[in-house]
Amino acid sequence: MSPAGHAAAREILETADESLLDLVDNLLNRGVVISGEVMLGLAGVDLVYLRLQAVLCSADRVERRQGR
Amino acid sequence: MSSVYLYAILSGAPSCETGSGVCAEPLRTVAFGGLVALVGDVTQLPPASAMTLRAQDAVLRRLAAALDAVLPVRYGTLLADDAALAEALESRRPQLAEALRRVAGCEQMTLRLWGDAPAVTPPAAAPTEAGPGTRYLTGRLEAQARAGHVPELAPLRAGLGDLVREERAERHDRPPLLATVQHLVPRGAGSRYVETVHAVRDELRPWRVSVTGPWLPYAFGEDAA
Repeated sequence: MSPAGHAAAREILETADESLLDLVDNLLNRGVVISGEVMLGLAGVDLVYLRLQAVLCSADRVERRQGR
Repeated sequence: MSSVYLYAILSGAPSCETGSGVCAEPLRTVAFGGLVALVGDVTQLPPASAMTLRAQDAVLRRLAAALDAVLPVRYGTLLADDAALAEALESRRPQLAEALRRVAGCEQMTLRLWGDAPAVTPPAAAPTEAGPGTRYLTGRLEAQARAGHVPELAPLRAGLGDLVREERAERHDRPPLLATVQHLVPRGAGSRYVETVHAVRDELRPWRVSVTGPWLPYAFGEDAA
C-alpha cells in the first residue's frame, strides 16, 4: 500500500464507528456456539463476512472522501 | 415451517415481558434442566445487517437489565424445533451453567490497542542446525504463545487491579490495530474502567488505546462451545 493509502486506511480505521464494529465482531464472531451442525455453514461464512463488512465499509468511506 | 431461533441462555425466567425479536416474532423462554433459553419462532434466518445486529443486541440488553446473567448466543443459531434445542443444550449443560456463573453480575468492556509496531519480544531460540521444518514449527509455537499475551498493557493492568474479573486477548499485530482485549468487569463499573484507562494513557505510550462498552458478555461464553 502506498504511504498515502496507508494513511487513509489508518484514518478510516481510527475514525470508524467502533461500536458498530464491536457489534459485528461480538454477534458474528463471538457468543456461545450452541449447535455445531447449524453453525458449520455460518461459521464458514461469518469470518469472511466479517472481513467483507470491514472492507465494504472502508471502500465506501474512501469513495465518499474522494468524491468531496 | 418455522424454526427456533436461539438468542441467549438466561440465568432464570425474566421478570419483565420478553417482548419481540429481530423478526418481530414474540419471544418465549424454554426451561430445560436448570437452564432457560430465550427463543423466537421464525420462518427463516434474519438477514445479517447493521439493523438486525443492533436489534438483536437491544433485545438482549433489555432483558439483561432484569436478570443476573445473560449469555448471548452467536448470531444466526437456528434449530429445527424445541426438541433439537433441548438436545443441543443437554450436551453442553455443565459448561453453560459454568459460563452463566462466570458472567453473573458482570458486563464486558472492549479495549483496542493501536500503534505502529508491537512490543519487541526476543525470538525463541531455535536450534542453530534446525532445518526449515523445525524453524517453521518454532515460529508457530512462538506465535501461539504470543497470541493471548499483550505486554504493552502492563501499566494498565496494574491500574485496573481487581476491577477485571477475567480477560480474553487476541493479537492482530497488523498496524495500526495491534490487539483486542475483552475484560469482564462488575456491572456498573464501566465508567470507573474508562477513567482508569484514561488515567494511565500517557504511561502506555507509544501505544494508544480505545475503549467501547459496556457490552453483554459476548466473549466469555466460548468455553461452553
